[in-house]
Amino acid sequence: MTDKNNIRSQLKSFLIEVGDISYFTKRFFTEVFKRPFEMKEFLRQCYNMGNRSLLLVGITGFIIGLVLTLQTRPTLMEFGAVSWMPSMVSISIVREVGPIITALVCAGRIGSGIGAELGSMRVTEQIDAMEVSGTNPFKYLVVTRVLAITLMLPLLVLFGDAIALMGSYLVENVKGNVSFMLYFNKVFDALEFGDIIPATIKSFFFGLAIGIVGCFKGFNCSKGTEGVGKAANTAVVLSSLLLFIIDFIAVFVTDIFYDL
Amino acid sequence: MKQTKPQKLRLGLFVIIGTIIFITAVYLIGQRQNMFNKTFTISSYFQNVNGLQRGNNVRYSGIDIGTVKDIVMINDSTIQVHMDIQEKIITHIKKNAIATIGSDGLVGNMIVNIVPGQGSAALISNGDIIASYSKIGADDILSTLSVGSENAAILTSDLLKITTAMLEGKGTVGLLLNDTIMAQDLKQSVNNLKMASKGATTTINELNDIISNLKTNDNTVLGMVLNDSISGQKLKNVVNNLETSSSEIEHVLTNINSVVEDLNSSEGAYNYIVKDTALVNSLRSTLNNINEGTDKFNQNMEALKHNFLFRGYFKRLERQAKKVEKEKEKETP
Repeated sequence: MTDKNNIRSQLKSFLIEVGDISYFTKRFFTEVFKRPFEMKEFLRQCYNMGNRSLLLVGITGFIIGLVLTLQTRPTLMEFGAVSWMPSMVSISIVREVGPIITALVCAGRIGSGIGAELGSMRVTEQIDAMEVSGTNPFKYLVVTRVLAITLMLPLLVLFGDAIALMGSYLVENVKGNVSFMLYFNKVFDALEFGDIIPATIKSFFFGLAIGIVGCFKGFNCSKGTEGVGKAANTAVVLSSLLLFIIDFIAVFVTDIFYDL
Repeated sequence: MKQTKPQKLRLGLFVIIGTIIFITAVYLIGQRQNMFNKTFTISSYFQNVNGLQRGNNVRYSGIDIGTVKDIVMINDSTIQVHMDIQEKIITHIKKNAIATIGSDGLVGNMIVNIVPGQGSAALISNGDIIASYSKIGADDILSTLSVGSENAAILTSDLLKITTAMLEGKGTVGLLLNDTIMAQDLKQSVNNLKMASKGATTTINELNDIISNLKTNDNTVLGMVLNDSISGQKLKNVVNNLETSSSEIEHVLTNINSVVEDLNSSEGAYNYIVKDTALVNSLRSTLNNINEGTDKFNQNMEALKHNFLFRGYFKRLERQAKKVEKEKEKETP
């Protein structure tokens, strides 16, 4: 009986959280088009989330491209299909690996950052102080951050893809003596709009999910330092989970549209 | 926290580079799908497109020149394939070009290959329909293989029958395999052939010896000719002399010919005598006249003998002649 009540209460709290996040998202979309636009804060967040994540995304992307090529090469060699490496690597990086790895890295770095920052602001009553002073904390803190990560993540994904392909090219050049021109000719021969456009659109949703979850967790942080840690932690976990759910939906939708 | 200028600069750079990467990727992909090139459409009819899809490449002599725009089922056995072709290639494709459906490599995507046709034809234009040619597909190969394997099975069964018959001693080959007398005869024949070949070898060796003797022995004519350098020199001289003599004879003959020619052609006495028939007639009449004259002269002489003036002279001559005869008779006993 207790277990049943426990499950019921957990389900109830889960549904409440889903509802809260939905209201939070709705509020974001309502506030985003309202004046005043906090442009300075938005640009600052863009710099923090975009530029400062570039190194991490670049290194991750480079290693992913390198490793993907190295791991796939022996199998393709068995089939005598090494010349297909650029096509295979480019499609897998642009379609899936690039966006999801970049998003996961950003969820770890930015999602937790937003959760911790807003959580500590909530704990230290800075948000309350802003409300008292007449500043809209949602607009200043949430809208700018969510918008910044939503716009910066697709750019980071593009950078990540490009650097991952360079890493793949490096392996192909060293092991297979493939020229730059030939490699990238094959890459763009294999790629279609059906690869790059859905991946880019998907990245916007990834960014939105990371921003919304991070801001929601931080903005609604419970009292105490423990709450800050929890907010940062759940922001990363929940946004990562959401990323995979969004990815699944995106692939499903893309498959429907491009198989018509 | 206030944002500094370098931060703004870096952010701007980040956004611009990211956008450039996106635009470049979109442009390169679009260019490969002929989205930014001027194109024209041609089509071709096929019975089977072997899994060809919209967007598959179209190649002309191995160069990517366009993509498959649409695939339309016309009726139960005809499929029309519309192709977007780059406009810059229009000057190279003629109306008699032939479209075939193949694959890009062993396991690659399907492609439409356009190959130039034989002879001359007008250049292709927008909306033209070109001829198609269906290559042998994997199914056809498999069905051919199936027929081949059936034939192989029939062949194997026939071979089995033949070998069984052979083992049972039926037919000529079976007889060869099983008949011991024939085998004995064949063995004998082979022995005879062996002996004959041995004899032929001996004969050839003897002939070789004879030829080598002829070659090496200087006492024979052939040996002398082949080996004696002095005789060879002499023979050479003889031949040279013969050559010189023949040339001299030829020279003489030439001279004689020219003389004869001169005789025949010149207006000398010979030509006159030989060829002039009037002269012959005149000579003949002259001879007749001389004969007549001689007869008349004889008659005159006879008349003179009987003339009294010369009778004494002729009688004296007779007497002297009789006297000489008598003396001759006396001398001969």
